[in-house]
Amino acid sequence: MQAKPRLLTILDIVCVILMIIATGMVFLYAPEEAVMGNVQRVFYFHVSAAWVGMISFLVAAVAGIAYLRTARMKWDIVGLASVEIGMVFSFIAVVMGSIWARPIWNTWWTWDPRLTTVTIMLLVYAAYLMLRAGIDDPDRRARFGAVYTILGFLSVPLTFFSARLFRTIHPVVIGTNQPGSEGAFDMTPRMLQTFLFSLFVFTILYADLLWHRIRLGELANKVEQLKMKVMS
Amino acid sequence: MLFQNAPAATTNYMIAGYVVIFGGLALYLISLAVRRNNLKQDLDVLTNEQGTSDAPDQKS
Repeated sequence: MQAKPRLLTILDIVCVILMIIATGMVFLYAPEEAVMGNVQRVFYFHVSAAWVGMISFLVAAVAGIAYLRTARMKWDIVGLASVEIGMVFSFIAVVMGSIWARPIWNTWWTWDPRLTTVTIMLLVYAAYLMLRAGIDDPDRRARFGAVYTILGFLSVPLTFFSARLFRTIHPVVIGTNQPGSEGAFDMTPRMLQTFLFSLFVFTILYADLLWHRIRLGELANKVEQLKMKVMS
Repeated sequence: MLFQNAPAATTNYMIAGYVVIFGGLALYLISLAVRRNNLKQDLDVLTNEQGTSDAPDQKS
């Protein structure tokens, strides 16, 4: 078994420091929003978590293409790792959004186009994890996973553009809000700096977690191969 | 929020939101560590088992 790389340890430490700075900026540097009050501060990590969710699914789709081209098992490990992290962050983003919505929209949940498409996206990737767990043959499982992550990625742009294409109450950060959107606000320079820094920190955090999860996947792969060897 | 002259009192919701993100991240990190430990144990058992089966038969 490979020892933990020194670079990964450094990345872990950098992530912790960056998270502390980002949290400090959210609570101490960014001003309180004039209408929504403190709950608006949820926005910085909510959008960053949703961003990580979407790039995770993009990375999984790219890994799927790479697997189909090369048939190398490492791409299957990358795809699975990325989908798992994407699920965690997307789910966190949905729950944080729901908490924000309670005082702003006066409801925890509504079947708005954005919330509906993000639910579909989560279900698509939950099905990926469940279905691949039911396939014993590693090559078949990897092939299935590759095709699924490529097709499943269609749900990601659908989710991203849903707040721009359909009539929705969900505010958008980049682009023009729909006339009926509730909870939109203009960012002050300090808010924008905090938001961009949070996006950056979450991207680094994603890279760190992906590395850890890939190492776990490699270990699981090794155990599976050894199990098959012992059983045969 | 019409005719509102002060920000809404929504601090509790903000705290709940940040409990979710930090709690969720902590749970995920714990799950990674637990799975890693379990796999390490499995690997040790399987390596020993493989070593035993590969060793020459003592009776012969």
